[in-house]
Amino acid sequence: MDTSTVVSRRSLLGGAGAAALALTTFGCSGKSDSGYGQAKGNVPDKYAKRTRVVLWSAYSGTPGTTLSALAQKFNDSQDEVYVEVQFQGTYDQASQKTAAAVQAKQIPDLVTFSEVTWHRFYLNDLLEPLDGYFTGDFAKSVYQQQLLSEGVLKGKTWWLPFARSTPLFYYNKTLFAKAGLPDRGPADWDEWYGWSKQLKGLQASGKQVKMECYQKVDGDWQFQGSVWQWGGSYSDGLTVTINKPEAVAAAEWQRKLIFDDKMAYMADSPTTDFSNQLVATMVTSTGSLSTAVAAAKKGGWEVGTAFVPAKARQVVPTGGGGLSIMRYATSKRKKAAFAFIKFLADPANAAYWCVKTGYMPAVGEAVNDPQLATLLKANPNYNVAVQQLAKVRKEDEVRLMVPNSNVMIYTGLQKIWSDNAPVQGVFDDVASQLTKATGQVKAQIEKHV
Amino acid sequence: MTVRTPTARPRRAGWPKSRLPMYLVLIVVGLVFVGPLYWLAASALKPTVDIYRYPPIWVPFHLRWANFSDAWHAAPVGRFFVNSVLVSTVATAVELVFATLCAYAFAFLRFPAKRVLFLVLLGAMMVPGNVTLLPNYLTISDLGWVNTYQGLIVPGLGSVFGTFLLRQHMLTLPDAILDAARMDGASHLRTLVKIVLPVSRPMVVTVGIVTLVTKWNDFIWPLIVTNSNNMRTVPVGLLLLKSQEGYNNWGAILAGAVLAVVPVLVVFFFAQRHLVAGLTQGATKG
Repeated sequence: MDTSTVVSRRSLLGGAGAAALALTTFGCSGKSDSGYGQAKGNVPDKYAKRTRVVLWSAYSGTPGTTLSALAQKFNDSQDEVYVEVQFQGTYDQASQKTAAAVQAKQIPDLVTFSEVTWHRFYLNDLLEPLDGYFTGDFAKSVYQQQLLSEGVLKGKTWWLPFARSTPLFYYNKTLFAKAGLPDRGPADWDEWYGWSKQLKGLQASGKQVKMECYQKVDGDWQFQGSVWQWGGSYSDGLTVTINKPEAVAAAEWQRKLIFDDKMAYMADSPTTDFSNQLVATMVTSTGSLSTAVAAAKKGGWEVGTAFVPAKARQVVPTGGGGLSIMRYATSKRKKAAFAFIKFLADPANAAYWCVKTGYMPAVGEAVNDPQLATLLKANPNYNVAVQQLAKVRKEDEVRLMVPNSNVMIYTGLQKIWSDNAPVQGVFDDVASQLTKATGQVKAQIEKHV
Repeated sequence: MTVRTPTARPRRAGWPKSRLPMYLVLIVVGLVFVGPLYWLAASALKPTVDIYRYPPIWVPFHLRWANFSDAWHAAPVGRFFVNSVLVSTVATAVELVFATLCAYAFAFLRFPAKRVLFLVLLGAMMVPGNVTLLPNYLTISDLGWVNTYQGLIVPGLGSVFGTFLLRQHMLTLPDAILDAARMDGASHLRTLVKIVLPVSRPMVVTVGIVTLVTKWNDFIWPLIVTNSNNMRTVPVGLLLLKSQEGYNNWGAILAGAVLAVVPVLVVFFFAQRHLVAGLTQGATKG
């Protein structure tokens, strides 16, 4: 990096004081000559001499503290690298902030992207291919193969699985028993539909217990699974297929359940409604398991889980976050960042992460680690979620790569769920929006895929 | 506010029927405003399961004060408060000085292109903050101010809203007192400090409070311009308590929100007398 020009520009701008606010264009155009700096932060004195790695994370709450604990353990396990975890909000906020940081040329080294957001950075050539970093005792094969493959494009690995989840089928065992239903998940959606008839008349808190509810915002993630189960897809490559008969049938099924059978509805938070026994079953993220189990314990009932039922096919999407290294970090920092990735993939550390957070084990060996093995034995529900990993598939390209496609899809779903709008018309409309949006980024995507 | 004048008393005792609908409306409006605050405060004292319970529990009977210590220990909340207090007070003070000086100039000084400059200023008020976010970030980043107090404070120092409000108020001051000051040989600074500011106090307090609350609650700029926890302000820091997926300790999150709201409420409580006076003045004469 050419420090002399940076310093002189800085002092010039600094001298200009408040007037510098008006100099933005100057600031933008004047820096093509300089390289990328590292995001600022706060390093404790005792780690000051090490190679500093900045990790921008989207994890708060329990996952946040768990990741910090792992970073602390890593920092104390060696004396060359210091990993500074900086929480940057949700996946979307972290990705927006990373985009701004790229503009300002002060970038983090390691970022936790979601299954959607990493594509944006990949398409702009901002990610580092990671294959070359795997050496000796650390091979790519330590990762669960399906999850690993979701971060591979053009034969190279860009995004490594870390905090992954899938939709899971939850049911209220106690309500099922009251309605005379078996204590298991249904084999397919048709059996489930029969059960919904049997549930009719059952009351909780003075209200009819419904069979399920659909998540108002971001419900297109669960519906991605439904579309596949009915044999359809959102898109085939970059060709939009959401208005084809299979996808339409999947939504029509839900519309009928809401407005004809009156056994389902649209909800802000299915987990909350399930926790209050307003619905007997739900399909939502494996990440909701601990919330549901805690609520059930307090409420004196029991949660069961099963594979998401099949229709034409048995399949679910995956979601959640993974790790990418920024291409324009210095090679020293990139190596150091990868050392931390390797540390996180150590079975004991991966198991610790899963036990604390409830995310799926992305590292195969983790399930044999004593902590996780104990959890799997003690908590059959969690075990079901892990078993279901055999049924996962990568989401359709349009949802992953076309900006805002998820919003277009769930806005369409909301019309169906709340206004009883005819499905074909809504999906034709969504399809034309998706096709238009795809057209704008098609050339860029085709170059990179 | 009820006006307690001697003539109003006997009429109140009579409770004219015509007032009844008005009070009903007032009660409804009051509930709409106070309801969410009550829910926040009450839920901050509930165990997590009670927060989720349906039908809702309106009056918490198992008080769980530990929510507050949970919130305090889950994140460096003390540090967030120090940052927030520092940033809000310094930024508000400097912004008030700027706004007052600027307003005085636009109200009382004669200089070329005054009208055009004022229009430009008003135009700046129409630009949404989101538009300037990225340019501001790039500038601050060029200055090397990311993750510093300067970076948090400086971009917000120019307040068109405050300048505009104060200028409109200053224009309403009678020319006579200013003429008197001028005849006594008072300089502009002296006129501002000894004459204009004292009579504009309600308006200055209003601008100060509105600014302080805006700074205290500001979310997106501190999120963008700070990286590490030691520089975060309270609203951004609260994010640390909530996870996107999985289990959320709602009691602690709501307790954190209560902690964030209290300082603003306290300031508001002490300043509200001036605030009401200031806003109505602006409304009638502005």
